[in-house]
Amino acid sequence: MRRRIFLQLPAVAPLLFGRDNSVPTYRVVSRYARAERPGMPGPHPGFVVSVRAGKSIESDSEKADAGVVREMIASGLRALTGESDARAAWSRFFSPSDVVGVKVNCSGAPNIMSTPEIVAEIVRNLLAVGVKASQIYIYERFLDQLQSVGYERHVPEGVRILAVETPRGSIRGYDPSTYVEVSLFGEEDTRSNLARPVAERFTKIINVPNMKDHGASGVTGCLKNIAYGNFSNVARSHNQEKTHTLTFIGTLAAVEPLRSRTVLQIMDGLKGVWHGGPFAPLKKFRFFPKQMMFGTDPVAIDRLLLDIIDNKRKAEGAISVWDRSPENVKPGPFYSENPNINRYFREPGHIEYAAGLGLGIYDLKKIRIKEIQL
Amino acid sequence: MSALVLLAVLLPGLFWNKDPETASALKQAGIERLYVPAEKAAAWRAAGFNAVALGAATLSGLEKVDAPRVEWKMDVASATRAPWIDANGWRFTRQPGRRWYEEPPNGAGALAAAEAFAYDADAILRIAPGDLPAFGRMLEFLKRADQAPMPALANIGLIDDGSDLVAEVMNLLARKNLLYRIVPAPEPSLDLNVRIGSREFPRQAAEDPGAFASLVRQRLTDDKRLLRIYGSDVVIGRLTGQGPRARLHLLNYAGREVQGLRVRLRGRYKGTLRAAGIERAALEDSLLTREATEFSIPAMMAYAIVDLEALP
Repeated sequence: MRRRIFLQLPAVAPLLFGRDNSVPTYRVVSRYARAERPGMPGPHPGFVVSVRAGKSIESDSEKADAGVVREMIASGLRALTGESDARAAWSRFFSPSDVVGVKVNCSGAPNIMSTPEIVAEIVRNLLAVGVKASQIYIYERFLDQLQSVGYERHVPEGVRILAVETPRGSIRGYDPSTYVEVSLFGEEDTRSNLARPVAERFTKIINVPNMKDHGASGVTGCLKNIAYGNFSNVARSHNQEKTHTLTFIGTLAAVEPLRSRTVLQIMDGLKGVWHGGPFAPLKKFRFFPKQMMFGTDPVAIDRLLLDIIDNKRKAEGAISVWDRSPENVKPGPFYSENPNINRYFREPGHIEYAAGLGLGIYDLKKIRIKEIQL
Repeated sequence: MSALVLLAVLLPGLFWNKDPETASALKQAGIERLYVPAEKAAAWRAAGFNAVALGAATLSGLEKVDAPRVEWKMDVASATRAPWIDANGWRFTRQPGRRWYEEPPNGAGALAAAEAFAYDADAILRIAPGDLPAFGRMLEFLKRADQAPMPALANIGLIDDGSDLVAEVMNLLARKNLLYRIVPAPEPSLDLNVRIGSREFPRQAAEDPGAFASLVRQRLTDDKRLLRIYGSDVVIGRLTGQGPRARLHLLNYAGREVQGLRVRLRGRYKGTLRAAGIERAALEDSLLTREATEFSIPAMMAYAIVDLEALP
């Protein structure tokens, strides 16, 4: 394929964020063209299926119920596609020839991560539509985080568990020809490269984020998991109290072939984190929405996530994720213990910014929600 | 004969002040030539070594430098996440005629030897006994890689007034792989000339050498840089060349293996990799554009060389 260089200037930025002139200049390099219908926002822009089940997880033991999870996923996929049969619903997205990456989130493991019972059920459905076990990859950037979960104990033999960055810091697992080049704080290494399996191996990706607060981006959901979870050298986006997550997350998520191949969003909200994310070391900041969201539009799901986290924070008496008061920003360890302290000036606007890049629908009035209570 | 002399001049020398009873350790490390205290020279020669006497006065007259290393300084707040590197390349190139002396601690001997070799420095190293095997292996690698020195390739001219201020700027430019050479006056053929105290590069700005190096980078622009290194902030490169041939020296100061380095060179080349301590090393994911060459180094320990041939 001919090498193509896309100069993706932040065209939406001046319109949406005209008061902030610190939007970096991004240079996106990819040899992959956008699919005719990219996976994000996919066939269901602005449509979210929310499934709640009180028995999906037991709050004290934090143990998920595999049977309830199975029904939640079946209901969600059926409602999303309009199919009456779960297998037919999954067949809308996947065929036996696909090589499927299941992008889990393990950054908060073992306290919070893509629930193994959910991941196992996703794998079971992929097998049911004819995808071979050897063509299913449960993947994350870091091996130690993956190992702390032990997904292999929950899925059939042959399903691959893959860490992209092994050892940490190595860029061998990333595609040298697909990257976003940007200087955020004058750093020497200005490239963030796309995970090599995404570029070279996967034909489809399922994104399985958690419902979490995030000290830099406000919340971390579909967009952050698919963006920061698939690129190298992303921690450079925070420095002192400033973070560039506002524009960096959407820019990364929109890079081809990641955008085209990410075809299904399954948000795991059995358990959530309302403060101290993404690592969430303290149990007192975890809560149990007992909810999953399904869609193809990551922006629409994340827009709902924003309110879920912020409402919970308000209920707990914590400052909003939108709070930008300088007096509440304190560097150091205070953030992880005090919900009224921010580590950075948070950037929950990253979701609206991503909408401006065409990744989905942000306007609540235009988002259609199908609620299912089991 | 002249080739042998040249080789001996370019390779770093070992200073060994122990008695010939330790000869077997040296032989096992493949070392045949060494510097010894004058009073021990005869005994070492009798033991079959090419021993060069180094008198106390000569030894104390050598320019002593610290061993190369990286300092992570995790507890120090900084505008950058990059670790601090103690590197000597800028010193070696600032005073090319000097003879240098180092005492690298155990584990740093191979890097010290490679650093001296990469910058064509005449260096004598006192190696810790436990480091002899690694040092010997590095010397063997350097012998195989040895060739006549080529001039440094650079597109930044730096006017050196001999001050400590310029010294620290040199250190930081080298650290950030901004390839410069010392010029007596601005050279129009270079992409950028830096004279501290000029309107473009005020003396006050140089008082923060890190920020000053960033200013130089900004003025040059990344597109015009001769060398970019991605994937590691502990590797420093030196580019030399003459006519169609060039050589990229890569020094890893971390003290442990670096995996997956990505290199971008301005200009079109085809290259061959040699990496010390790594069998069958080969460049990966090579990419040639109209104006640049890129490739990946799968893994490197202390030192790697990429020999380059210019393409039309």
